[in-house]
Amino acid sequence: MNRRLTQHLNVLDYALSSLWRRRAKNLSVLVVFSWVIFLVASFQLVTQALTETAASVLRSTPEITVQKMSAGRQVEIPLDVSTRLAGIYGIQEIVPRVWGYYFDEVSGANYTVMGIAPGRMPLLDRLQLTLEEGGVYDQESHGKAVIGRSIRRTLEEKGSTLLSLFRPDLSQASFEVTGVFKPEVDILTNDLVVMNIEDARDLFAIPPAMATDLCVYVANPAEVPTIAKKIAEALPGTRVLTRSQINRTYQVVFGWRSGFASVCLLTALTAFVILAWDKASGLSPEEKREISILKILGWETADVLAVRFWEGILVSGIAFVLGCTLAYAHVVFFNASLFKPVLIGWSVIYPEFRLVPSFRLAQFLLVFSLSVLPYLAATVIPAWRSASVPADSALSGM
Amino acid sequence: MLLNSWSIALLLCGLIVLFLMGLAARSAIRVLLFWNPESDSNRQIRLENEIWLTSTLVEYALGIQIISLIVFVLAADFYSQSIAGAMCATGSLLANSFGVPALLVKIGGVFFYGFWIVLHHLDIHSEKYPLVRVKYIYLLFLIPLLVLDLALEILFITGLKPDIITSCCAVVFGDATGGGSNLLGGFTHGLSMGLFYGTAGALILLGVVLLERWQRWLGVLFSSGWLWFFLLALTVVTTEFSSYIYAMPFHKCPFCILQPEYHYIGFVIYFALFLGAFFGMSGAVVEPLRFVEGLEEGVTGYQRSAVKLSLLFLVFFVLVSSYHYWRYILIGGEG
Amino acid sequence: MLIELKNVTKIYNQGQINEVTALKGIDLTIDDSSMTCLRGASGSGKSTLLAIIGCVFQPTTGRVSIAGKQLSRLPDRFLTLHRRQYIGFIFQTFNLLPALTVQDNITLPLVPLGIAPVEMRRRAAVLMDRFAIAHRRNFPASQISGGELQRVAIARALINNPPLILADEPTAHLDSRLSEEFMHFMKDLKTAGKTIIITSHDPLVTEHADVDRIVDIKDGRIDAA
Ligand SMILES: Nc1ncnc2c1ncn2[C@@H]1O[C@H](COP(=O)(O)OP(=O)(O)O)[C@@H](O)[C@H]1O
Ligand SMILES: [Mg+2]
Repeated sequence: MNRRLTQHLNVLDYALSSLWRRRAKNLSVLVVFSWVIFLVASFQLVTQALTETAASVLRSTPEITVQKMSAGRQVEIPLDVSTRLAGIYGIQEIVPRVWGYYFDEVSGANYTVMGIAPGRMPLLDRLQLTLEEGGVYDQESHGKAVIGRSIRRTLEEKGSTLLSLFRPDLSQASFEVTGVFKPEVDILTNDLVVMNIEDARDLFAIPPAMATDLCVYVANPAEVPTIAKKIAEALPGTRVLTRSQINRTYQVVFGWRSGFASVCLLTALTAFVILAWDKASGLSPEEKREISILKILGWETADVLAVRFWEGILVSGIAFVLGCTLAYAHVVFFNASLFKPVLIGWSVIYPEFRLVPSFRLAQFLLVFSLSVLPYLAATVIPAWRSASVPADSALSGM
Repeated sequence: MLLNSWSIALLLCGLIVLFLMGLAARSAIRVLLFWNPESDSNRQIRLENEIWLTSTLVEYALGIQIISLIVFVLAADFYSQSIAGAMCATGSLLANSFGVPALLVKIGGVFFYGFWIVLHHLDIHSEKYPLVRVKYIYLLFLIPLLVLDLALEILFITGLKPDIITSCCAVVFGDATGGGSNLLGGFTHGLSMGLFYGTAGALILLGVVLLERWQRWLGVLFSSGWLWFFLLALTVVTTEFSSYIYAMPFHKCPFCILQPEYHYIGFVIYFALFLGAFFGMSGAVVEPLRFVEGLEEGVTGYQRSAVKLSLLFLVFFVLVSSYHYWRYILIGGEG
Repeated sequence: MLIELKNVTKIYNQGQINEVTALKGIDLTIDDSSMTCLRGASGSGKSTLLAIIGCVFQPTTGRVSIAGKQLSRLPDRFLTLHRRQYIGFIFQTFNLLPALTVQDNITLPLVPLGIAPVEMRRRAAVLMDRFAIAHRRNFPASQISGGELQRVAIARALINNPPLILADEPTAHLDSRLSEEFMHFMKDLKTAGKTIIITSHDPLVTEHADVDRIVDIKDGRIDAA
């Protein structure tokens, strides 16, 4: 047992010195490989950070949303349906919400306008937490709004402190800005305007006693599925969305984009694997001589294979650590500047937000299996080819 | 859900294993057709070299298969974020009828590749290479398993349909499946605990006896005991121990213990269990090889170390997996 | 007796157009602690015979046993295991790895044996002292003189303390002084109980006083004359 261990250590030592002797060749492989791993890992970290950002934002949205459906489209929901939900045990609060999209012709951007009555939100403090500066307007006041950072920038460019929007009849409605959302939640709030529900009704010309949807807050999160089911039964013709379902949609969007990007990265990886194969399989006369000498001195084929295995592990291990470290720095300190245009390409206004990736073993295992495993697999055959150089070729030099 | 990093990683692993094993199978066919130890021809020399190629290929394939098993479980966990009603890997594995079979075939693959490697190491310890034919025929039988593995995996992944809320006709609400306890159960708490510790104790006792003196029927009993214990332990970890690890009485799940929230304790538990079960079972698997010329010594040696290792992992597994449970029983709360 | 060959033949590339019969029925026994010289013209089959004795490859037919172990029909792996235990090789071109240091070259045969680095260095130090190359310990093999190369090669052949030393035309590239020195070392080894087989057609070797026996090889056969 102990002998086995020293044998492995000896072989590892030999592999190290062998790598060092061929450092020029190995360095080029190392650089390219680190670069590929860097790309894959950066991408994974960005996706992860975006997903987590979205999830953290979603935490302040209601557990359940009720929408009225008509002819397959969402239509306004009358406020009085909430009386029909009164009997359902476990509902903490039902808050109507008016929201819609607003196209700002001056800046050419789409805003999401959301009208809520903050005083009735049990999670008001959470909303407050997502603000960078200012506060939430109080319930009674009209003509006040909380906005996302890109809208603030548009306002600053105009040199205006008032947000001016137009009603369908083209009359103007102005809002005083009381707060701005934090950069961390930009992905959802960048183009968001939050205002009093009556102001929003007024802006979109929605009749009173109507809302776009109803937010249902539930005291115990574990009861959400049950309550959602009861609501769906009590209100036929409505659609009941739970927060986790909304979350899922984001997951799929991000997942798809990162998957698409992974396919592109795989192409780079394939190119690399071909390079690695090529580098490893070109058996130079010196290498051939070295192996035949080792073999005639009593090294087994398995020993030479072990040297090659350790070389592969060392190269890919170093490249993996290097690539992942660089990727982390890239994402955290340089805000993934290489990738953001691709990942957030759908937004009209280019959002700037800070990425805060969290460390998870799973992420690194994923990067590992997308990069190191193909490399190791690509080097098996060349390793074996070099290990099967016969011992007697060392004799022919005699 | 083919187009995301996890699916791509899984398919990549699958294809790599298929590629490696395909190459191994090519060598296997050549060896089966042309192997002739009486000859010193160039072909025979090449075939002797190919023995090293195949064993390296299978060893790499085993390594990648183990990683791909972990990736599979973590991927299932990732998918659960996108599937209505799924909260962890259990949910996604049950989301269509291919998830659980894919998992089982993957686990089976790990064991079967492992047995091949044991066979190989016994073989190369005899100067006659007496198992050459057996081991390459065995290797050829692994190929269908591998294809099945990949096929189930693809069926599972493509069968996962996330519901997208923007589509109007989408099912409004999926039923929450929750933990995996509905899969198992049927045992009462006392019975399963008794069986768990009883079997573990019996295995240790048997192992000690076997280390004193190897007896065939005891060896077979030991190995079948391990098979039983393996299945039992998976059940008990899921239905009994996991909720103590989560410190939530109704959270019973074999997969969440792999998460960082629980300090990845699941990896330790399953590695110990799988290794223990592998060594425990392989003792009897190699027993028939005792009668092959030149292998008796190798088989005896392997069985001794296999029994020792399996006992070591058994004790470790029992301690780690039931730690939270006993802590709760003895100290109470705050597990 | 240490080595026994019975009716050994070797055919390279059998069944192919480049088929060569290098050995045609060799019967040979070699005693313990003796020095034997295989003499013959170039192409007569000396190296092939030495490689078979040295467990580098199998004979095509015939039986070989070395140190009491039957070696014919053994897979390559077991030839290697036997070789690294019983046989030390010295080559005409020395076959050192130029990029490795003298010490690393000498310890090369010990690496796969699982011997701890400290022990490897200790054994190498003893041999380096004995062959007066200790001062070159950390020099790359590419930077030392021909005489030193030869002594490094001998030290490497002795590092795993094999009972049998095989040298293939060891003096072909050496001047007469170094050839004398080489034979001197061989004489010491013989006195120390090693069995030595040298192939050569160099009179300095074949006519050396310590050679116990000369075996003439001609066209793959032992020339009885
Ligand atoms: N690897 C080989 N493949 C084919 N023919 C070989 C090989 N090695 C040696 N031979 C042939 O075998 C014969 C004997 O060679 P060898 O044993 O090297 O003779 P010597 O060492 O006496 O010069 C020669 O004709 C040589 O060409
Ligand atoms: Mg020669």
